[in-house]
Amino acid sequence: MRGIRRFLPALFMLPASLSVTLFFVIPVFMTFVFSFTTMSSDTGILGSRYIVSEATIRTLKDGDLDAALVRQLDSRVFAVNEAGLAALRKSNLKPTVVKEIEEKLSGKVYASEKQLFAALKGLSNRPRSFKDRKMVSKAVVQTLKNREFTTPKEFRAGLASIGIEVTDDVFDVLLEVANTSWKWTTGNYSELMASDFTWKILANTAFYVVLTLFFNVGLALVLALVTFYMPSGQSKFFRAVWLIPRVSPSVIYIMLWRWLSFDGGFMSYILGFFGVQPENWLNEFPWTFVIMANGFVGASMGMIIFASAVVAIPADVLHAAEVDGAYPWQQVRRIILPLMAWPILFITTYQTLSLMTSFEYILLLTDGGPGFFTTEVWALNAYHTALSNYYGNLRYGFGATLAVVLVAVGIAMSLIYLRLFDFKKLVAEPQIEN
Amino acid sequence: MDDRKTNWPLTIFLLIISAPILIMYLWLFVDSVSEINTDSIWPTEFTLRNWRFLVEEIPGHGSVWTALFNTTVFASSVVAIVVILSSTAGYALSRLKFPYRSEFLGLVLLLHSFPSVTLIISIFLMLRMIGLFDTLIGVILVKASLELPFGIWIMKGFYDTVPWEIEMAGVQDGASRFQVWYKLVLPQIMPGIAALSIFSFMAGWSEFVLPLILAPSADMRLMSVYLAGLVNDDYLSDYGLFKAVGLFYIIPVMMFYLFTQDKLMNIYGGGTKG
Repeated sequence: MRGIRRFLPALFMLPASLSVTLFFVIPVFMTFVFSFTTMSSDTGILGSRYIVSEATIRTLKDGDLDAALVRQLDSRVFAVNEAGLAALRKSNLKPTVVKEIEEKLSGKVYASEKQLFAALKGLSNRPRSFKDRKMVSKAVVQTLKNREFTTPKEFRAGLASIGIEVTDDVFDVLLEVANTSWKWTTGNYSELMASDFTWKILANTAFYVVLTLFFNVGLALVLALVTFYMPSGQSKFFRAVWLIPRVSPSVIYIMLWRWLSFDGGFMSYILGFFGVQPENWLNEFPWTFVIMANGFVGASMGMIIFASAVVAIPADVLHAAEVDGAYPWQQVRRIILPLMAWPILFITTYQTLSLMTSFEYILLLTDGGPGFFTTEVWALNAYHTALSNYYGNLRYGFGATLAVVLVAVGIAMSLIYLRLFDFKKLVAEPQIEN
Repeated sequence: MDDRKTNWPLTIFLLIISAPILIMYLWLFVDSVSEINTDSIWPTEFTLRNWRFLVEEIPGHGSVWTALFNTTVFASSVVAIVVILSSTAGYALSRLKFPYRSEFLGLVLLLHSFPSVTLIISIFLMLRMIGLFDTLIGVILVKASLELPFGIWIMKGFYDTVPWEIEMAGVQDGASRFQVWYKLVLPQIMPGIAALSIFSFMAGWSEFVLPLILAPSADMRLMSVYLAGLVNDDYLSDYGLFKAVGLFYIIPVMMFYLFTQDKLMNIYGGGTKG
């Protein structure tokens, strides 16, 4: 049994450590790594890719490479090689024709279709119709354009296939320009500093966090105090009601807010009695709903913490105040609130952190709209940049840079949070010697 | 406080500020089984038409049963992983001596309050690199790992309340630490395991962002993504249908909530995930 006893801690810790390391700790680290890359849906994620595209040709034309070489890169050639012959064998051409092409023209490279056709004319079993000749040219045509190569060696073979032999120096230039895979860069950070959108989104985020914080911490305090002064049955009911948004799946909760605010929904109906035209209120006042939807969820956590803090205040103190003639609101102002400074600080810190980094409710409610960046906050912008947008190019690297800021905020806030606990007590030594 | 009498102004005030929640969830139920008039919110007629999604597919949105099946598999797997790994790691952190124990504990505590949603971009890229992108397994592993620090923390808390005497007696009687854990300590923390199971199940059942990003294809669709797809469909503005699907989706969560409210309130109030 000694053996097992020695390895017991490792055995017990390993699975959890492994899983947390892989999908939690490493992603934190990798966010920083990815933020220094140009990764996007265009560059792909894995390995290198070399492609001669329209854009590559344009860049090369502006460079100091030999113009003839660039034209050659851009051109098509007709090479009778194994791949071309294989395609011919599969085609509808007569086997005798294909056989003669293989015997007589194998290995030949023609610079234009005209030259290829001239060579075909010289054969005894030549393809008669124009259509057949076209079929041959289609089978053996070779171009470099838009073909994908994953290694420099393949790329060189590709060059050779259209009859281009280059020196190593020229090859290096070509490699550099044709390389569409992601590169290391610090450009994301300078772009972030220079972009006007950064300030817009920063302002949005600050607005959202501060207002929602006031809304939900204030609401939580009101709820905790009001339910404290109620019969226990009623207070239990109201606390249960306020927890419903938190236990509901976010999709349902937000769907209900959208119903409440849309032009055929509850608000439009009630306001109709006052002569107000039905309206999609979410589009009219997007921030109000974003703040309310987040605030109603956030309030429940504060409510529970504050309620238990109020109950923990010694009843004697409150009784004494009552005997001395203090009204309930005086009790609240002079006794309860000062004693709750600590829980209030805790909740405020915690909510700041989660508001800054969460985007789920805004994504479902307004998706950053209506219009351009109206309710777009930092975390949502990171998501849009890297994972979902209408422009088509998903910029993973730049999105990661936006996320780095959030991760840094997260780490800082977690450290503060850590200080709020009595850490020494939590790590007290076990009492049985191993 | 039991000696309080009803203070009507307070009660009415609270009813007013609670009105949005009460109205939203009351009409979630009402609209799911009634015909809706466009210019009114009052039900005109009882109908089961909104529940048609149970027997036929809503065009372009696939079968709700696939989504339900996936969600069940997803939530149960998350529960299994979180509960098993947290109850072993929590025990080690609470009761066993090993090198770097307090560092581990600090890390757990740090990650437990870390906003994991900020990691979504690098998790997305990593899953694509290791080939787990767009698989249910991938999302399950990610969700379970992100829930683990919380689970370990809760389980450690429960182990901490088990008296040392129980284990000392076991060890004295010649049982190994493993036997002590399995036969003596584990039965003591069953309430903790139950609470963590319920909590992780609800977290898994409700999860939206992770499956949306990490497993986007139709076969992997979870209930949350299915419902969001309906609500965001520009050609569909049928709140009767949305609410019927929503009610169908929320039933297990509400059952757990109604029956285990006190336990959950303890966990939510324990200064944990917000």
